[in-house]
Amino acid sequence: MPVDLDNSSTASGEASVSSSGNQSQPPKPTAKKKRNLPGMPDPDAEVIALSPKTLMATNRFVCEICNKGFQRDQNLQLHRRGHNLPWKLRQRSSKEVKKRVYVCPEPSCVHHDPSRALGDLTGIKKHFCRKHGEKKWKCDKCSKKYAVQSDWKAHSKICGTREYKCDCGTLFSRRDSFITHRAFCDALAEESARAQTQNQALVNPNKESDPNNQAVDSSPPAPPPAPAQPQPQAQAPPAPPRPTGVMSSVLPNKNPELPENPPQILEEAPATTGLNGSCSSTTSSSGNGSTSCSVFASLFASSTASASMQTPQTPAFTDLIRAMAPPDPPTDLARPSSTESISLCLSTNPGSSMFGNAGQERRQYTAPPQPAMSATALLQKAAQMGAAATNASFLRGFGIVSSTSSSGQQDGLHWSQRQVEPENSSVAAGLGLGHCDGGSGLKELMMGTPSVFGPKQTTLDFLGLGMAAGGSPSSGLSALITSIGSGLDVAAAAAAAASYGGAEFSGKDIGRNS
Amino acid sequence: MMQFTEAPPHPLHHMTSFSNLTMNKSHLRRTRPWPGFPTSKSLGSLGDANCMEQLLVHCANAIESNDATLAQQILWVLNNTAPPDGDSNQRLTCGFLRALIARAARSGSCKMLAAMANAHSHLAMDTHKFSVIELASFVDLTPWHRFGFTAANATILEAVEGYAVIHIVDLSLTHCMQIPTLIDAIANRHEVPPLVKLTVASAIEDVPPKLDLSYEELGSKLVNFARSKNVRMEFRVSPSSYKDGFANLIEQLRVQHLVYAESGEALVINCHMMLHYIPEETLVAIPCTNSSPYPFEYSSTTSSFRTIFLKALRSLDPTIVILVDEDADLTSNSVQCRLRSAFNYLWIPYDTMDTFLPRGSKQRQWYEADICWKIENVIAQEGLQRVERLETKSQWVQRMRNADFRGISFGEDAISEVKTMLDEHAAGWGLKKEDEDLVLTWKGHNVVFATAWVPA
Repeated sequence: MPVDLDNSSTASGEASVSSSGNQSQPPKPTAKKKRNLPGMPDPDAEVIALSPKTLMATNRFVCEICNKGFQRDQNLQLHRRGHNLPWKLRQRSSKEVKKRVYVCPEPSCVHHDPSRALGDLTGIKKHFCRKHGEKKWKCDKCSKKYAVQSDWKAHSKICGTREYKCDCGTLFSRRDSFITHRAFCDALAEESARAQTQNQALVNPNKESDPNNQAVDSSPPAPPPAPAQPQPQAQAPPAPPRPTGVMSSVLPNKNPELPENPPQILEEAPATTGLNGSCSSTTSSSGNGSTSCSVFASLFASSTASASMQTPQTPAFTDLIRAMAPPDPPTDLARPSSTESISLCLSTNPGSSMFGNAGQERRQYTAPPQPAMSATALLQKAAQMGAAATNASFLRGFGIVSSTSSSGQQDGLHWSQRQVEPENSSVAAGLGLGHCDGGSGLKELMMGTPSVFGPKQTTLDFLGLGMAAGGSPSSGLSALITSIGSGLDVAAAAAAAASYGGAEFSGKDIGRNS
Repeated sequence: MMQFTEAPPHPLHHMTSFSNLTMNKSHLRRTRPWPGFPTSKSLGSLGDANCMEQLLVHCANAIESNDATLAQQILWVLNNTAPPDGDSNQRLTCGFLRALIARAARSGSCKMLAAMANAHSHLAMDTHKFSVIELASFVDLTPWHRFGFTAANATILEAVEGYAVIHIVDLSLTHCMQIPTLIDAIANRHEVPPLVKLTVASAIEDVPPKLDLSYEELGSKLVNFARSKNVRMEFRVSPSSYKDGFANLIEQLRVQHLVYAESGEALVINCHMMLHYIPEETLVAIPCTNSSPYPFEYSSTTSSFRTIFLKALRSLDPTIVILVDEDADLTSNSVQCRLRSAFNYLWIPYDTMDTFLPRGSKQRQWYEADICWKIENVIAQEGLQRVERLETKSQWVQRMRNADFRGISFGEDAISEVKTMLDEHAAGWGLKKEDEDLVLTWKGHNVVFATAWVPA
């Protein structure tokens, strides 16, 4: 079992004490350090409440030579050095410097509460500006306003770029659309794969000196319209510490000194901790390190998968992922206590670029599906089925069933042609009613007078009443009925498919007439 | 034990007799008072939608009373009135017509139709399987989903300010389509981006839109994308389904909650048009406490999975819960009520369609097939198979309050971003602020609501 975090760090020969130094060991839950996270500060930290004025003052410490203002005395002192003025840096006390956190001056804000104080001065300042400040930076192009100058600058860079082009050739007029497409497009996967192989050759030498470089190294060249912002690692102030202990996903990809973790350990870690512990495997290929592939089975990972994840070959990765898939189908719901799941936990590790290609083959467009079968087609099918034996027409197929209730198909097939015709025309009359305005027939039909729509009504009665209801002296209506009737006559006389066309024609005819 | 108190019944629920159909309120609601917006091309009068709706209800009645003769007559009439390539109301009616045929076939009242449906039982399954790129451009066509994405992202961004670890649980119908823009926003906002953990539930394959990519592959793309933005991200699939109120997922979150709660990890629950699939009260009561997949105290004999889920969610003390869903009530046990309700809601996607999809396009077929799937599910299915169980905003608000959540307002940023987004779409779309919530409207009718919640 892995023991102490710091020990493992030194054992691996990493001199750096950066926050992401010790990723290779699955930490124990007990080893979780108190972290001073912005928003959830260490209770021991000194809580600083600045007035809005002080907070927004940019130049509390002013250089007497050039009048440049600084937020911190320390910075001013460093600046004074440039003028060859006497300077003095406050010495760090031998004891650990007390962590400071800052609350938002706005009383109604959640960050006004010391328990939600933010960890750095810049952070609280930006927060205060964004949330409670005046938006005085206005984009000339789109009039969008910003309270923080840097937000405005970032926006200005991309505003007005009305066109975004993905490397796959697709054009987008909106950033959101572009971003969403970009995330899933194979072009990104290919690009990052390329970028990583290049970067690896270039950057490997400093890898061991500063594992933090990873983040920068592995980020691909920024796509022109949406530049990725490299982290300012070098000048990063006492950055909010990252929770490296629990879930590290930044891993030095080449580190020969790093003791290979035997797979057993990897399996044990989550098993023994039960809930916690990120389980990492490092596999450096001995020679060049370019195929290094690290997989983190995090807290979430099913512990049994760890051993197989050792395989260093990149192309096999997708398969691994598939292999990691939970053994039981998702529909299996009877697993109350199951915490099995899969975790893909990759971040800035260059070795994992093959991920992007995982879906390539499947990405092909699937064959265009059959258009949804329409209701018409359904009915037609029904009619065909019912009438198949005698090749009766579509209309007859329907007339049959409706007039013989549910007594079965055979009876229906004996329905004769001449019975069909009057019936159909009267149905058409009802149909016509539906389309003349709501005034006369429609109302009555639609109101569903029991005598019309009563469940026990026979077909012919229904239709007769329908006719009666529609028998208004409107010439337009009768013309309509005639036209429909004739359309249906044609339909009834023709054979199945053709007759259907006729019926549809009459339907359209109605539309035009009304 | 808290029981869900039902919102006042829909006025339509009382409309069971035929005699006063013309007095129906829906007359008023069907009037779409938007001069300059032609709704109907060939059969232009406003009466048409009403007429079709009522024919459909008659037909449903006939089917329910096993009157095959009448049912088939009306089907025949409707079939001629509502061609599948007609105007938006005709196509809407056609969708319902199909659904009624399927219902008739299932209920066995029309033998011929039953035989036919058996022979073509796959018909309901003709929804398109999207490639991930297709789906991305598909959801991008209309504010239907983008509205929720935009409002949610802005609110999430604000809620997680200052956290170094953000755990996003994405319970979304759209297969993570919201996530790239969220990652992008996180990356742009923070100099040192936080660690993003993304958890999704795996078992939603049976509901459209369907994706032809496994979630593992989808996740690897997202992780890769996040890396390109310098955001560290972990992706995790939890084999969990709405059918039991995501019991498995909740259990996993509960275990993690014990570990991470005090470590300063923000827990974001993003529910995008997904919670309405969880069985609610009108579905038969959960058998009994013992067999419930929820292992602990949330279960009680009278609660539905929907109630249990929300209470379990509350116990996780999430930093923020975003609930976005379609604003309609499709939970009634009466098929006629559901039909009316669905008809008076689903005209909207048909009506909007002409503004963003050309006739005859492939995407339009996919789009319509997905709506038809929904109609058929509401009309033809019953019991556990009927999964489209939408509830209105007020019903959800009540549920959330009962689960001890407190609604919070959407910020100025969220509202202005939604407005900007809507400007990119047709003029009929609008934004309405109701209490704390945002509502997407089409020609003044509520379409989708977005609400944000914190533990009370």
